[in-house]
Amino acid sequence: MAGTVLTLLLGVIFGFSLNKAGLTKYHKIVNVFRFTDMAVLKFMLTGLAVAMSGLFVLRGAGVITFPNVPATYVAGNLVGGLIFGTGMALTGF
Amino acid sequence: MKFILSYIRKETWSPYAAGVLLGVVSILTVWLNKSLLGASGAFENLAGMIGKAVSPAAFNILYFNFVMPPGITSGVILVIGIFFGGMIGAATSKTLKWGKKDALNSDLQWKRIFGPQVWKRWVLAFVGAIILEYGAGIAGGCTSGLAISGGMLLAPAAFLFIAGMFASGIVIAWLIYRRSY
Repeated sequence: MAGTVLTLLLGVIFGFSLNKAGLTKYHKIVNVFRFTDMAVLKFMLTGLAVAMSGLFVLRGAGVITFPNVPATYVAGNLVGGLIFGTGMALTGF
Repeated sequence: MKFILSYIRKETWSPYAAGVLLGVVSILTVWLNKSLLGASGAFENLAGMIGKAVSPAAFNILYFNFVMPPGITSGVILVIGIFFGGMIGAATSKTLKWGKKDALNSDLQWKRIFGPQVWKRWVLAFVGAIILEYGAGIAGGCTSGLAISGGMLLAPAAFLFIAGMFASGIVIAWLIYRRSY
């Protein structure tokens, strides 16, 4: 139960940050593919940089262990990404 | 304090500020929840659950038995949280469209390109979402579950996925916006 509440809370903060970055708007998502608004990239890569440095420091300090790292299979990841991008440019979500 | 409160009420934050919040949430998810942020898996869990109830034989396959087990997983809870988090974000900046006149299709840029019809927006969003979820299923995650959560663990899969996503996204956006690119 406590785990469920925690998951819900993490989801709420995640959704909040998505909304405040403007990623809930169609034009923000599509304009990154048109190179007219780079907010999505700035948001994603800032998040990546913060999370990366935080996680590796915490693992080095022995505080956390990593969960299962997503599996790599080159063709699947690439083809999936290509199909995903098509849907993303069409939908804008 | 006053500055923080007025910043929370702003409609669009600096993407860097929101990005820091995203990074902190990702770290907390790994630390406290021992899992990764992700959205697309939840829909597969739910689809598996519905499928098993409607047609157990057709859904008795490897994918729904082992890769994406059906049920109310923590991913589903997370997506519910994301939904309400987005609503709270919109409510704090008073841009929540619930019950407003143009709530069903309010994006000016979309209207300029495709026209003002609401049904068009919904049909295109539905078709695009099917393509999007199918791609996420093949790749093993979506923007949050693979690109961000995998990328922060330095998984090669995430960077291959990002490359594919931008390659096709740019081409499709170019096809749609040909005249006004």
